Order: sequence, then C-alpha cells, then structure tokens
Amino acid sequence: MKHPLDRTDTNIAWCPGCGNFGILRLLKEVLTELELDSQDTVIVSGIGQASKTPYYINTHMFGGLHGRALPVATSIKFSNPLLNVIAEGGDGDMYGEGGNHFMHTIRRNPNIVHIVHNNMVYGLTKGQASPTSQKGFTTAVQTEGVKSEPFNPISVALALKAGFVSRVNIGNYSHAKTVLKEAFLHKGYALVDIFQPCVVFNKINTYKWFNDCTYELESNHEKSNLISAMSKALEEAPIPIGIFYQHEHQTFEKSIRKNTENALYSLTHDLKKMQTLFERY
Amino acid sequence: MKNVAVPFQPTISTPPVSVPKYEEVAQSHTSSVSILIAGAAGKGLKSLENVLSDAFKQSGYFVFSTKEYMSRVRGGSNTTLLRISDGPVNAPCWHVDICIALDADALTHVQERLRDDTIVLADDEVTHEHISITNVPMLKVAKEIGNVNYMNSYASGILFGLFGLDKNILTQSISTFFHEKSEQENKESMLKGLEHTKSLINLQLPKLPKPLPHLTESMHLMDGSSASGFGFLAGGCNMITSYPMSPSTGVLNFMASMSKEFTLLVEQSEDEIASLNMVLGGWYSGARAMTSTSGGGFALMSEAISLAGVSEIPVVIYLAQRPGPATGLPTRTEQGDLNLAIHSGHGYFGRIILAPGDLQECIDYGYLAFELADRYQTPVIYLSDQYLADSIGMLKTVDFSHYEQRRYIQPTTHSYNRYTLTDTGISPRGVPSLGEGIVVSSSHEHDERGQSTESYQIREKMVEKRKQKIALTVLEAYKPKVMGEGNIALISWGSTKCIVSEVIKMIDDPRLFHVHFMWVYPLNPDHLDILKATQTNIIIENNVTGDFESILKNHGIAIAHKILQSNGFNFFTDQLKVELKKIIKDIV
Repeated sequence: MKHPLDRTDTNIAWCPGCGNFGILRLLKEVLTELELDSQDTVIVSGIGQASKTPYYINTHMFGGLHGRALPVATSIKFSNPLLNVIAEGGDGDMYGEGGNHFMHTIRRNPNIVHIVHNNMVYGLTKGQASPTSQKGFTTAVQTEGVKSEPFNPISVALALKAGFVSRVNIGNYSHAKTVLKEAFLHKGYALVDIFQPCVVFNKINTYKWFNDCTYELESNHEKSNLISAMSKALEEAPIPIGIFYQHEHQTFEKSIRKNTENALYSLTHDLKKMQTLFERY
Repeated sequence: MKNVAVPFQPTISTPPVSVPKYEEVAQSHTSSVSILIAGAAGKGLKSLENVLSDAFKQSGYFVFSTKEYMSRVRGGSNTTLLRISDGPVNAPCWHVDICIALDADALTHVQERLRDDTIVLADDEVTHEHISITNVPMLKVAKEIGNVNYMNSYASGILFGLFGLDKNILTQSISTFFHEKSEQENKESMLKGLEHTKSLINLQLPKLPKPLPHLTESMHLMDGSSASGFGFLAGGCNMITSYPMSPSTGVLNFMASMSKEFTLLVEQSEDEIASLNMVLGGWYSGARAMTSTSGGGFALMSEAISLAGVSEIPVVIYLAQRPGPATGLPTRTEQGDLNLAIHSGHGYFGRIILAPGDLQECIDYGYLAFELADRYQTPVIYLSDQYLADSIGMLKTVDFSHYEQRRYIQPTTHSYNRYTLTDTGISPRGVPSLGEGIVVSSSHEHDERGQSTESYQIREKMVEKRKQKIALTVLEAYKPKVMGEGNIALISWGSTKCIVSEVIKMIDDPRLFHVHFMWVYPLNPDHLDILKATQTNIIIENNVTGDFESILKNHGIAIAHKILQSNGFNFFTDQLKVELKKIIKDIV
C-alpha cells in the first residue's frame, strides 16, 4: 500500500506481522491528516526495531544512539521552534538505556511528541526482557523469569506532571489514531506509549493479549485531574488506554526563546555588543 | 515554513578564515614582586584576588594571578598568588617575596614557598617556631567591624599601605567588587589595614617596579575561562549544554551570564551523555552548539563523539583538564587528557584538538573551534586545564569585528543527499527546513542519502570519505609558534606556553628557543621540520608520561630530554629554571 510519505527504495527490515508496521502506517496517516509538511518535520530515533521507523518515512530524520533520542529532539526543537519534532523508539531504548533522559525531558517540557513502541521485549538483540516485561517472563537471559517490577511509564510521567500522558494499543487502530492526533495538537511534551506485539520473541503479549487485557478510558475520565489519572495509571488488569492526563504549561523553547521563533541558523551575534561587553573587563 | 536567510554560506572551497595576527607578547618585564595570600576556603580569597588584581592594574602595573585550592567549599588552606610587574607577566613562581597568611594552618600550608627574606604577615594569633612573622591585628579588627570575613580587605589595605600606593584606587576597586554586599565594612577594614602600616615602617619591602599606567590602562584583565568564553561567542556559539564539573564550570558560568545579552541557550543537562547529544541535535538543526566538561564527564561523551564522526555533525567540546584517574584531584591541574581526547570514541574518524596557551589564544582558538568544526563537519576538542582556566592575566583589546561570521550550511534541493560523495570528502551540509530537501542523519553506515546500508562497496567509499576529511584537516593544521632561534628547542603545548617563555628569558642562554603548539592534533609533518633540524629538543609537559612527546616521536622527532610533572600543580618558573639549567649545562 503506497503512501506519499513512504521513503522510496527502502527495504523494511521488520519481521512479517510485526506491530511496527501498524505504527508506521499510523504515523504517516496522522502526519498527512494533520497536514504537517514533511519538510518541517523531524523524527529523531535511537537504536532498536522501533528506532528504524524514521528510515521508512520521508521526513527529516536524525538516527542517533541507543537511548539518546530525547536530548537530541529537545535541542532540535530549541534550535528551530517551527519544526515538528518527534522522538521515537522502543521500550528498551526510551525507558531502559534512556531512562534518565525520559525523566528530565518531561521536566523541561519541549513541544515534542514522544512515541514509544512498547512490546515488552527486546527485538533487535533477540528476545531478552525489557524494562516493561512482566514478572515471570522467561527468556534466554532471564532463564527463571523476570524478577524485577515492570516499569510503568504512565505513572512515572504523571509523577513528573508531564503535560500529555497517553497509552494506546496498535490493535485498536482508530482509537490510537485519535490519541496520536491529540498528542500532535498538544503544546508541550506528549507521551504516547503504544502497545504492539513482537510476533517472534514475545509469545505472551500478542495482538490477542493486548486486545483482551486493555480497555478504553471511560468518556467521563477527567483528563485534567492528576490524582484520578494516577489511579488509572496504576490499574494492571485490565490496563486502561487513552489520554490519562493533559495540562498545558509553558514549553522549554518558549521559556528561553521568548517570542522569537527564528531558526538559530539565521542568526549571528551582535559583534558590537560583544566588543562593549569585552571592554568592561 | 518560510525559509529564512543564512548569514554567509561559504563552502569548503572558500579559503579558510584567518584570525588577526598579533605580536607575540614577550615576557618582557624587568622586575616583579610576588605576593602569596593564603587562607581557608570561604574566607574571601577570590574576592581579594579580584580586588587586588584590579587595584594594581589601575595603579599602572601588569598583573598576573593564579590560585590553588582544595576540593572543599569551606575550610582547608588555599592560596592566591599575585605577581605585579612592569611588563607582561603570565606565569607563576613558587617562591614569593611577600606572604599574607590569614590563619596558622595557611602558614603551614605555604611554608615551603617562603625564602629567608620573604616578608610574612599574619594575624596576631599566628606564631611559628621557624618563620619570622610580622603580626598584624587583622582578625581582631575584622571582628570589631562585625565579621571575620573582612580580614581579606584588611590584607588589601596592608599591601597598599606598605607600598605607599594611592588608597583611592583601592577604595574604588572595593566598591566595584563589594557593591551591594558590605561595601562600607570592607572599606573600613581596608582603611584600618592601611592605617596600621604606619607602624610597620621598618619592614624591608621588595621594591615595586615602575608603574606604567599609559600601557596598562587600555589592557583588559580576565581569567582563562572568560577569554575562552569570548572566543566561543565570537565563533557564534548559541547553545551550551553542560553538566557542571570543575574546572570547566567557569566557561558554563560565563556563557550563562552572556545569555542575558545574546540569543544563547544555556542548559544544565541531566548528564554528560545528554550534553553532547544535545550539542549534536543543535548542530543538526543549524545551531552552533558546544559543551563544557572535564575528563570524567568527557569519558561519558565517547559514544556521542563517535556519532559525530559517522554522521559528520560538527561539535565543539571544551575540555578543561584536571588530574585523574577517576575523581583524582578535582580542583587541581594537569595536561593529562590529550590521549583521551585523541582516542575517545569507537571507529575511525577525524577530529581536531586545539590547546590555547594564553588569553589571546583562548579567544582566537575559541572562535576557530567553531569555524573548524563547521568547515570540516568534525568534532573539535578545545583543551584547557584548571591552571589556564582559573588564572587571571592581562591582554590587549581584541577587535571582534575581525572574527568573520560564517555558516557552512547550504539550502537544499529536492534531490539533496546529505552524504554526497565529493572530491574533498566534505558533503554540502543542509539543515531541516532550509530548502526543499530531506536531511537524513544516520548513526549507521549509510549511503549518500543517509539510508542504512550493509553494502561493502558503499562502506569502502564512506570510510574513504571520512579518511579524506582527516587528510584535509592535516593540511589546514596551524604551524607551531616559533619564538627565537637557537639549537636547543624548548617544546610546549597548551597552558605551559607563558611559563616556558618566561623561563627562557630568565636563563638568557642564546642557544635556547621556544616552539609552542596550540594545534596539537592532527599534526602536519611538514611543520615539524624545524624540530628535525634542531640539535636538541627538550619537551615540557604537565603529565606523567609525556603524551605529546609520544606523538612527536611517532612523527620521527627525537626528543633528548623531557621535563614532566604530575603533582597537581602547574609548573613554576623558578623551579622549572633550575630543572632546565641542570639539563642544558651538559649540552655542548
């Protein structure tokens, strides 16, 4: 199925049936429907199966290091506030290797969309546990099953008062699309944690499992109430999906750039002013 | 999005920038007086250093000051050395003419630096069985005025009084540095110190040199951190993302103070990994970004340097060295990270390493760091150290209009490829939203578009491309500065420059001359001919193994002698003189 945002002459390296295909399609459709110009859009990713996404979609891209997409995305947004900036990667990339950046990017609140493909397993390195793997999940490394508590990105983001906190299931495509669109429209940091199955390495958390174990947040859920968002975030069986919390506050780039949005590449410093400041010494 | 213009878009074929050529400042003073002030952390040594440097400069003297301090916020024993002279002086000495000790521990701390004829002033309560002390009631007076911390201003009054200098100048300096915080009390304490010197007329003081206000008036007093910072600003720096770490924090503070004046993001990152990744994101989208750090933080940046290498994104790293391993001596100095800077990051890619040696070079090479990073799309590591960053000296006015503002980025067309193969190895660098093209930056081996590839043919081409860039930077390498002529070369790099210059003048042996490197990597072999032709090469390095010596040896340069040190101090001119004399007396 061709799409205008397809990057041409690429050979997609995902396994047949991978949940990433759905997320790729979702992102292309949302960008198109929101009329976000590909020339004004940058996708930053790290390393992992999910982080291959920007290589298959024809926007600007920054393929970076494992876990490090968020600091890159933050400074891109600052350097040119008119760009639409997306940081995208998997649960290992964003919550494991890049966990520190996850916390501090939320604190900064740059106006970016943070998409995390969450399949509860490592794909690229062939089947080890991820930070979100459930207890007891056995792998070639975790031979007696995962012993650690799974990482809950939703409650962590809420504890840091992230401005937009959401989770979707790629198996519930139309709901996922609605939420991702809202994330792009939100002014500030927006987390979209996407449940997706790994059809090769995770035989537990399948399409069917995600469909059976999730439910859409009730229409009367108060998105502006942090406490009720947190109580929803802590529900484990079934797991709620949707927008848990939304609250706009001043963005990182706005707080520093004030009312100017010129790309930094267009600016030079005032050398006369520099001379005056030097003369004070 | 509307496209906005880029100020000036040169390409790799545009000739390199030149920085203003200035006359090399010889260490040409005829006499100088050294003053060592010692006291605990938190007792205002830094303020005293600022006040006295300013006041002596305003009185017509050339001033240099440097400090050594412990890694603690309060207590311990720290020192500030001031040298006052009638000509440029930019190096520290070990033995001093005058010492002011604010407490007994301080006196013990500095006793090795006292000669028999050193005048030692200390509080009434300080005694020492071997050191002859002139006691002054500084603690008592400070307490009477209201706070023991006014002792520092008392000491400044003592010095001005003993030398019979104009107290109005000192009063003005105190106003400048203490305005809004106990200005009156500090002035009162200073005046009490000044008054007290009337009872000290029998002290045999060293003679102050002749003041030369017509020369010093137009000069500027600043530390190495500030000079580096001005250089980075001149280079167009508009983003600095750093995690604080001594002794690099001076630059971060300076840039933060400048963020009120210029469009300049100063962000304290969560860790050094984030710091350099933010720098990469900044340059990718058109900013001129840098980070500041020291060895431990730099070690955390290794993977991101490697990313800069493969994705050909410029980065500038200010690396202020301190002694390791690990935490080492956090507040002290060493030239110990050259090999780390050269070899950090996995894989094969180029980089440029600059090491300024004085304030003027701090500015010039700060500017050039950004210019070179942008021109060659490569990491530039700017090596300073605690000694250079924290020492205060004087420099002539710099004309900032001479620093040409370039931006090596090109508007893109629809068919733009980020990694286009070219004759030079440099591909035109586009940034998102400037033009029609899509900018693909990749950490993988990639084709010209930036798309990941495992084709061995493309891999070979891209390896060759990155190798070509290294060859280009070798061609652009700046020659070492050669000062004087003779058949014994004293080789320095980075912060030891002015110490070596002064020692050459002190020894006054016509065989000695000075070869100073501020571009330390990669070297252009043609620039080393002078060392091949010299009878005896002696290298001076503040590290344990002679890191730069190894590089020179790899280029076939014979180094007959090396003077190395790794005790946490900078070199001192009088000590280095003794070491050098021992070596050269046997050279025929």
